[in-house]
Amino acid sequence: MIELPLVIELLLAFSLTLALIFAYLTVMEKDLIRAVVFSAGQSIAFAYAYYLLFAPDIVLAYIAVGVGIYSMILIFAISKTERYEKV
Amino acid sequence: MTATKALEEEKTHSLIIGVGIAILLILTIAAVILGATGYTPSEKIRPLAQFYLYYAMNIFKKELWAATPEAVNSMVWDYRGYDTLFETSVFFLAVIGAVAVLRLPGVKDVTTKGIFSGRGLSLIVKVVTKFIVSFILIVAISIAIHGNLTPGGGFQAGAAVSIATLVALAAFSRIFLEERHITTKLMLPIRVIGVVGIGLVALAPALIALTGIFAFAMQNQPKVWAPNFGFPPGFGDFWLSGNQFYYNFLEFLAVGAGFTVIYLMYSIPELIYKEVLKKK
Repeated sequence: MIELPLVIELLLAFSLTLALIFAYLTVMEKDLIRAVVFSAGQSIAFAYAYYLLFAPDIVLAYIAVGVGIYSMILIFAISKTERYEKV
Repeated sequence: MTATKALEEEKTHSLIIGVGIAILLILTIAAVILGATGYTPSEKIRPLAQFYLYYAMNIFKKELWAATPEAVNSMVWDYRGYDTLFETSVFFLAVIGAVAVLRLPGVKDVTTKGIFSGRGLSLIVKVVTKFIVSFILIVAISIAIHGNLTPGGGFQAGAAVSIATLVALAAFSRIFLEERHITTKLMLPIRVIGVVGIGLVALAPALIALTGIFAFAMQNQPKVWAPNFGFPPGFGDFWLSGNQFYYNFLEFLAVGAGFTVIYLMYSIPELIYKEVLKKK
């Protein structure tokens, strides 16, 4: 196994837990625009994890795709339907 | 159902979810500790990674080098160049699919100017967006042309530059882009230029091989079995890394224009679709 410094391991655990929390909020949110924002937050947490794992190439692609393109396509899709999820 | 009962039900609901996540977490940790991920190779015995890191910029072993200090880029465009070539063609076809699904039958290029007002967001947002768009453009171009020296490359730069059009689309309007000639009519040819250029750079050694010099498709630097051909690694301080600079720049054009086409198709107002369909 590659030995990472303790600080990086702790930050990694923090960012991945943050991603899990954002994923939970995304699934539970009834306002779909807010759900997209939470999903973008999850992407940022993942991108930070990639950065901590020394993969700057992935970070550059992931930020653009995960936060920008993915969110925007979902917002376009939501604009064609309804904003609030009905139970 | 009374309000308190609903609240209670929601409480048990979240309790079940919380306990479920906790059990999942414990099970995952236990599985990893017990060796579910299998054998993880240690840092010391990864000969492939060592090979790339050792030879990517090794000026003493020029028969195996890729002439780039960025090992990831050397893999993407040299050591596993065919993979990236086919990835590019898959992306090209994916954008064609998106355009085919979203197209307006019988309409070449949609202009909303004169039909919609398109005032965009407030003045503060617009001014800030102008700055941000210029920064994004600078960063994207630098990612593209420094792709062979620093982390990044063609795809990353293309995705970044497409964000500039996306932000402009959100803060101003579609008309703002139309006035600056960022339309599907312009972006589709740029995309084709990018992909055809990548194909030509990949095939250039094979074309040279027709003259009798031995070279193979996607060749970058001279190899032992093809010693007479190689792209110039750089001109003085301007380091090209053989053909990787061209690949990165052309991929930047192809990906940036491809994503921009998709946003432009998505941002066509529904009213125009309805009008066209009514005429049919």
